[in-house]
Amino acid sequence: MMNTMQHDANGTTSTRDYIRQRADQLRARRLAVSKVMIILCGAALVLTAIPLVVLIEQLIVRGVSQISWGFFTQLPQSPTLSAPNAVGGVSNAVVGTLALALYASIMAIPVGVLTGVYLAESDSKFAEAMRIVAQTMAGAPSILMGLFAFSVFVKYMHLGFTALAGAFALAVLMLPVVTISTEIAVRNVPSTLREAGLALGVKPHKVSLRIVIPSALSGIVTGSLLAIARAVGETAPVLLVIGGGYINEWRPLNPVSALPLSIFMGAKSVWPAQRAQVWGIALVLVAFVFILSLTARLWAGRSAKGRK
Amino acid sequence: MSMRTPNLTNLSGRSAENSSAGRSRGWYHWLLVAFGAVFAFVSFAFVASIAIYSAPAWAHPGQILGGSGWQSPTGPYGGLPMIVGTLETSLIAIFLACIVGLGTSIAIIFMIPKRLRTIVATLVELLAAIPSIIYGLWGFLVLAPYMFNHVDPILNKLPFAGTIFGPPGQQFGASLLLATFVLAIMILPTFIAISREVLAAVPNDLLEASYSLGATRWQVIKDVVLPTSKIGLVGAAFLALARATGETVAVALVAGGVARVQFHLLYPGTSIAAWIATQFGEAQGNEISALMALGLLLMILNFGLSLISRSLVTRQRKQLAKV
Amino acid sequence: MSNVSNDYAMQLTNVAVAFSGKTAVRDVTFNVAKNKVTSLIGPSGSGKTTLLRALNRLHDLSAGAVVSGQILLEGTDVYGGAISVTELRTRIGMVFQKPNPFPAMSIYDNVVAGLRFNGIKKKSILDETLERSLRQAAIWDSVESRLHVSAGNLSGGEQQRLCIARALALEPDVLLMDEPTSALDPIATLHIEELMSSLKERVTIIIVTHNMQQAARISDDCAFLLMGDDSAGELIEFGPTQKIFNDPNDKRTIDYIAGRFG
Repeated sequence: MMNTMQHDANGTTSTRDYIRQRADQLRARRLAVSKVMIILCGAALVLTAIPLVVLIEQLIVRGVSQISWGFFTQLPQSPTLSAPNAVGGVSNAVVGTLALALYASIMAIPVGVLTGVYLAESDSKFAEAMRIVAQTMAGAPSILMGLFAFSVFVKYMHLGFTALAGAFALAVLMLPVVTISTEIAVRNVPSTLREAGLALGVKPHKVSLRIVIPSALSGIVTGSLLAIARAVGETAPVLLVIGGGYINEWRPLNPVSALPLSIFMGAKSVWPAQRAQVWGIALVLVAFVFILSLTARLWAGRSAKGRK
Repeated sequence: MSMRTPNLTNLSGRSAENSSAGRSRGWYHWLLVAFGAVFAFVSFAFVASIAIYSAPAWAHPGQILGGSGWQSPTGPYGGLPMIVGTLETSLIAIFLACIVGLGTSIAIIFMIPKRLRTIVATLVELLAAIPSIIYGLWGFLVLAPYMFNHVDPILNKLPFAGTIFGPPGQQFGASLLLATFVLAIMILPTFIAISREVLAAVPNDLLEASYSLGATRWQVIKDVVLPTSKIGLVGAAFLALARATGETVAVALVAGGVARVQFHLLYPGTSIAAWIATQFGEAQGNEISALMALGLLLMILNFGLSLISRSLVTRQRKQLAKV
Repeated sequence: MSNVSNDYAMQLTNVAVAFSGKTAVRDVTFNVAKNKVTSLIGPSGSGKTTLLRALNRLHDLSAGAVVSGQILLEGTDVYGGAISVTELRTRIGMVFQKPNPFPAMSIYDNVVAGLRFNGIKKKSILDETLERSLRQAAIWDSVESRLHVSAGNLSGGEQQRLCIARALALEPDVLLMDEPTSALDPIATLHIEELMSSLKERVTIIIVTHNMQQAARISDDCAFLLMGDDSAGELIEFGPTQKIFNDPNDKRTIDYIAGRFG
């Protein structure tokens, strides 16, 4: 039989006193533990920041010295024993990357945007399934896109190593990302906008094309830019199918080079000068990706403010 | 990558008063469906083509799944070293990343003042935007020599070092442990991004109720916030794990690329993705099929982890909506 | 007013709360009698909840919040150094507007959460406290057989009584209630109002309510707050409920009671 609270005329209660005494005894320790654990979490934050700081620092320290006008405009050279520092530039990779980005965008962005609009405007089971497919594909290992492009372009169509194959791999990478961000952007348009259009008698497809999608445009552009930024930095998809090369090649049916590929090959080079140059390429790549990402976010931020 | 906004009105089924609107609703609607179908087709072809080209290798499934050596170019092609390597590096990496990542998320939400929070969040996003090749480069040219010269000697003196790390005589820098560290750093931002959202979604009035009972800040975190968001945190871990399994070039550059089943962490090894990347260039015929088969395995593993993560995060969101 | 601080559960003198420089409530001076129900009434925006939360230092969690004036708990300055925040909150408990049991915990764990936070783990104490608190909250019979199910399975009214039990478990001197029945249906509201008269024998209750009739029904003393021209709430009048409702001093009180503010 449990005792209910003991309460006598003087107001002393045994359980209340016990609770308060115990709490007083333990308080200092609890507060100390709290402080320590919070500090440990702060240490974790610092630990997370360290690689970023170190990485950026190394990129800048080792990479800046490699950058020059010639870096962007010259073709790569092979160092020799008599000229071990003659590494040339990386114009082939720059040209190749730009070409790949262009072709991939052409393939991925229109399809991705329209699919995203579809998903935003439909609640059918098919749409729901596609949503799951898009999210799963967005997290798929990028090397698989390379295998996909290889099966289609190199094996099935017997085209050999081409820019088109690499762009296709990147496009498959970008497609789910553009789809998802477009869907989010369109869904974020207030439904009142659509309802007002429909109430005014505007036909549904015009409501979408003239009212809703233009409203979502900044989000769509942001998503597309971020997708391009990601694609440009990927090595695995292009590694298997673009072939590489040491000339300024951009034509779709020819082998091309790319910045990530040059980094991958240069890092394993036996020549120290080539290994050093790789930091310059890395710096350029990171700078390119950061600028694209920042532009995308600033665009999104500015448009959001403008709408208010 | 979560859809949190409410559904807009379904395009089909609304204003059918105007018959011409009905007709134009038709073509627009079906145009969109067509693009959805294109998307579906591409996704299907993605899976199908890899599966189809891997078919020859599946004639001997025991080989690709259990064989412990990969003889290039003649075969047999045993996938066990890659599978084991993938699991070892990814699992240890997620373990490390969850500890540091959870502490970081807690620090961001409970230590950093609100106005600074967006800056910190942006910095973490920047980490995520760095291409994997850069991490691989840094790991290979900077971290590897540093670890070999300064960290490995210490590790080799720890108890059980021989069993865990292997006898020092055959270590030469590139190792599974190095790959694990680089992976952990790479998946941190993924884990932090999701876990931050999950932790922040715990309703404020639960925190207030806890403080009102005299809880310390750590007790609020440990006894209320973490248990309430447990499911979502596991979902975040699964997604980060999925990402870890798919990392290619970073692992290719630092793991050493040796196709042997390896349990000594300071010895070289490989992973599925890294092996495909390094072997594919010179592979012919049956070896290509074998590599495709490895790719199919990776796909199944990655998709499985992704889907589990997705269902966990959805379950977490539903649970909080009931509160 | 007597100067002997122990006659009163709490004493407020010139209390004001400001957020980032903007005053939300000011000029609050009154004494809270022990073992009585004191209600804070007034229209929305008059600062009642802001004032209530200053009493258990909940504003410590909001950056930029500044509490001025003096708040005494049985003679001790709540914001002085003599009593730590965690200790203060074992002596002043709080029940919130929307029932907020911890979803990841069972009914049992919810009720004894306060004890566990403060380091008390002895099972006999936990069990004894559990039954006592649930009985005081008039919900023991209903949940006795399912103590280990999740708290989410209870109805709204039951959840709120669970939260009351949780707050009572630490045997506080004062219980703050922030519109505890506004999210509940009329029957659940009635149950909780019926609790008040038995509860006040053990704790002093300070309750914020926007429902005048409720204040008239359950409270002994009443503080009427109103938003002034500077959009800050201020105390208009304080006194026994009978007086406030039947014969108030201030015209604004008369208007509010008569329903002209609502």
